[in-house]
Amino acid sequence: MTDISAIRAGLVTNLLTVPGLRASAELIDNPNPPIALVNIDSIDYDLAMSGGLTQYNVVITVIVGRAAEREQQRKLDLYCQPDGDYSVKRAVESNRSLSGVIQDLRVLSSGSIGSITINDQTYLAAEFTVTVYA
Amino acid sequence: MSKFVVTATKVTLNGTDVSSSCARAELVINAAEVDVTDFGSAGWTEVIGGLKSGSVSLDFHSDFGVGAVSALFQDLVGSVGTVVLVANNGTAASATTPEYTAQVLINSFTPVAGAVGDLSTFSVTFPTSGAVSYATA
Repeated sequence: MTDISAIRAGLVTNLLTVPGLRASAELIDNPNPPIALVNIDSIDYDLAMSGGLTQYNVVITVIVGRAAEREQQRKLDLYCQPDGDYSVKRAVESNRSLSGVIQDLRVLSSGSIGSITINDQTYLAAEFTVTVYA
Repeated sequence: MSKFVVTATKVTLNGTDVSSSCARAELVINAAEVDVTDFGSAGWTEVIGGLKSGSVSLDFHSDFGVGAVSALFQDLVGSVGTVVLVANNGTAASATTPEYTAQVLINSFTPVAGAVGDLSTFSVTFPTSGAVSYATA
């Protein structure tokens, strides 16, 4: 059985390969951007007999800073690129087994690109949808 | 006994437990229809059971790890193997978890399948060879 906390930790390890990006395995009240927050959105059980495969649907929220700052918007563009040093997709998929913790993973999409409000502060952010097979 | 949701059909191939890579298992046992209709059938067809046959259908998640299911099938195409299925989420033969054993002709294998972004899977359907046995203990 795969430990969910190990999945979170593995994703954080991959995210930390993006230069300058912080990452947290849990949602936090006062994020210090730029930061990626890992959240398990849903879990699909019993994809194989005897619990042989479980699908974890993960949402990684990347918060870059105040929404009004143009530099932050350019930074978010870099994070959303499908490839490149700052690509969140490339970073998350850089170790697709999370060092043997899971079977495989894939970053499906990025979305909700825009502003979010946390503790009365408006930030620019994007959500990355990740499918994890374990 | 009660109705049940399939979550853990035990599937072994030549003694190797491949359950954790298997997403669907099906064993079908048939008997051929032999027509014995004659002038005494009063305008109806009459049939009796003929030769029995069967098939085993399995859906797998591809896995080329050492000893894993894809590697296991790789060398078996063209040979007769033994498939054992334990129904009702059982792990061993019992009155409520019957065990079916079939010799099957492994006549196909699809090692590469799937579109971009898909979980790689493959499906097989094998004809049985000889009797399908049934055990409850």
